[in-house]
Amino acid sequence: MSQATLYSVSYDLSNTIASALGSVLPSGARDLITSSGVVTGFAVVIFAVIILAATMLNTILLIWWERKLLGRFMDRRGAMHVGFAGLLQNFADGFKLFRKDTVKPREADPLGFYFGPTAYMITSLAIFGILPISSGWDTGALPLTLLLALAIFAFAPLFIFVSAWSSNNKYSLMGGMRSAAQMIAYEVPLLLAVVSVVIVAGSFDLNTIVYEQQNYWFWGPLILALIVFVAAMLAEMERIPFDLPEAEAELVEGWNTEYGGMFFAFFMFTDYLRALVGSVLVVLLFFGGWTLPSWVPSVATSWPLAGIFWFMVKTYIVFGVFVWIRASLPRVRTDQLLRVGWNRMIPLGLVSVFVAALLVVAKCVWPFGCLPTP
Amino acid sequence: MSEMWINMGPQHPMTHGLWNLRVRIDGEVVLDVDPEMGYLHRGIEKISEDRHYNEVVTLMDRTCYVAGLAWEHLYILASEQALHITPPERAQYIRMTCEEFQRIGSHIMWYAAFVNDIGLMTPFLYGMRDRDLVLDLFQSFTGARMTYEYMRVGGVRNDLPPTFTDQARKVLDWLTDRFREYDQLCLGSSIFHKRCDHLGVLKANDCIAHGVTGPMLRSAGVKRDLRKDRPYARYDAVDFDVAVADGADVTARYLVRMEEMRQSIRILRQTVDWLEHHPGPVMAEHLPRWLGAPYAPVGREGYLLKRNYAKGVGFSAVEEPHGEAQAYVVNEGTEHPYRVKFRSPIFANLSAARQYLVGYRVADIPPIMGSVDPCIGEVDR
Repeated sequence: MSQATLYSVSYDLSNTIASALGSVLPSGARDLITSSGVVTGFAVVIFAVIILAATMLNTILLIWWERKLLGRFMDRRGAMHVGFAGLLQNFADGFKLFRKDTVKPREADPLGFYFGPTAYMITSLAIFGILPISSGWDTGALPLTLLLALAIFAFAPLFIFVSAWSSNNKYSLMGGMRSAAQMIAYEVPLLLAVVSVVIVAGSFDLNTIVYEQQNYWFWGPLILALIVFVAAMLAEMERIPFDLPEAEAELVEGWNTEYGGMFFAFFMFTDYLRALVGSVLVVLLFFGGWTLPSWVPSVATSWPLAGIFWFMVKTYIVFGVFVWIRASLPRVRTDQLLRVGWNRMIPLGLVSVFVAALLVVAKCVWPFGCLPTP
Repeated sequence: MSEMWINMGPQHPMTHGLWNLRVRIDGEVVLDVDPEMGYLHRGIEKISEDRHYNEVVTLMDRTCYVAGLAWEHLYILASEQALHITPPERAQYIRMTCEEFQRIGSHIMWYAAFVNDIGLMTPFLYGMRDRDLVLDLFQSFTGARMTYEYMRVGGVRNDLPPTFTDQARKVLDWLTDRFREYDQLCLGSSIFHKRCDHLGVLKANDCIAHGVTGPMLRSAGVKRDLRKDRPYARYDAVDFDVAVADGADVTARYLVRMEEMRQSIRILRQTVDWLEHHPGPVMAEHLPRWLGAPYAPVGREGYLLKRNYAKGVGFSAVEEPHGEAQAYVVNEGTEHPYRVKFRSPIFANLSAARQYLVGYRVADIPPIMGSVDPCIGEVDR
């Protein structure tokens, strides 16, 4: 059997279930259930469920990882009591939030109030439908995955602003304003950093981008782009030092001040979802995705699902750096943030685009090596 | 978004207590502020008129929950003057030790709250961790971590345990190292300077005009410290410098408070040495019987009897961690004070809010108010 892919796994699973079901059913129903259309449709559902479950599980693990790491940075231990080393703490917290009532302010607009967080979460979840996590473990059909992922990623300020405005709270509104201003300002440097990678890789397809990093990972020559990308990603994820839309010191809780219970859980969950997207994109664009450098002995990569394993390891390390930044930096001010965005990040991004163009022209660069495609 | 008033408080993360800062903003710019105090008024001054002198000490712990011993000291000094009692020297040194440790505890608490206001989470927990050591120390001789009820008219409730000096020296050594770390975490960060430099400026003239005292006044370059200018207890016998800075901004207040903690350590090393070598009584002799029992509050017998003791008034001024606190106690010859009046330093510091907040941004309000170090229990009393 060839290497397992997400498609083959879900298709095999669907086939097995369909034939098992068909064996106990009368012949008419059996033909219907084992027909290729039904099996394919069922495979798509399994496919989606796998992605959804893996995404949610990883997001919750990510929260645990942040809590533990942040705890260690702060000379404490983080969550310890529910499950081994607090692994189940976030499930407990999540269930608690889901059981709680959502109190809607009387003057709030119900449509926007409920639609905002829901759409925020759904669009962020949708990104994971197109991100590859290992060779073969993706939808595979799209040539423009990176572009699509960033386009969906850029929806967020709209939904944040909708929910902030419809909360009918001054703090929420100010938080929403800040959030929209910040995300739109940092969209440009983010895309400039991405464009430099795209120029070097010659493709918007994330699979191709990872394939192009087989000789050297892009973070070395494109260090400028990496810096711009990480800074812009921090602003997009609204984490310290750029977490001013929810700066709890002055804005109480920013744009999600009025939310409680399940909808608050949506917001928190989605924040980490977006942090996961950010870490995954950093790994895919700059750190070779699921591949390892050629000098690593093949025993590290020869076992099944090794790609996914190394991909997750890298993602969690990158997120660990985000946590480290959060643990050691104060928050900047809105005007300072925007000034840094427009005055520093965009010029830096333009320079990195130029560097990328040079890299393509030069083909081979000491000490990194050559690009694989001629 | 046109101009609007927003209420920062009474329940708001910026307030550090129960008060309300009404802010008129245009976008992110602060146009006007209106501090509203009084949410935490408990009538401590009035209640004091109905209690024995030593029972009022209990209330003093509740004025400022991070500087209880400093307020006890303030009240006790005024009462002793009103009652014509002189405490033994060892008690005075113990009180100084208490006050300086309390200053460190209070300033560490300020540090933790202040850095949290500008988004630094790690030093917050470092600060709380280190403050626990000071509280452990208090616990070793008062039995409590927050409301101590330790000082008495005529001395202190009990002597220090024999382990105190060693434990205190260990804490001081540990804190000396940690303060270096605090500075690295804050002053070493350029974002910290971006958030704090030239912010909340209150020049020396404005400070004096509004009665602003304490670290805020000293950060404006005024070398005023009651421990030096009007020494009480035995502050004339210890050697220390007054912490002063020039900026009059948030960074300057940070520097002043950090330096004050270092000076407190310097004072404490001297007082701890003195205490180690000078055993002695910690309560004055020949106290009136109703003041005598250091542990149990006096019984209620004769509570309403008017007795004729020597009358008198007492005034004291103490350099409390937040500023200059003053107390006035009138003794009309009964067992409870006829009138007790306090001057809260933070009330004056907060009342000047319009001077140091207008013109800055909404995001600047938390660091500026954090640098004022409000403690609302003391403002409202």
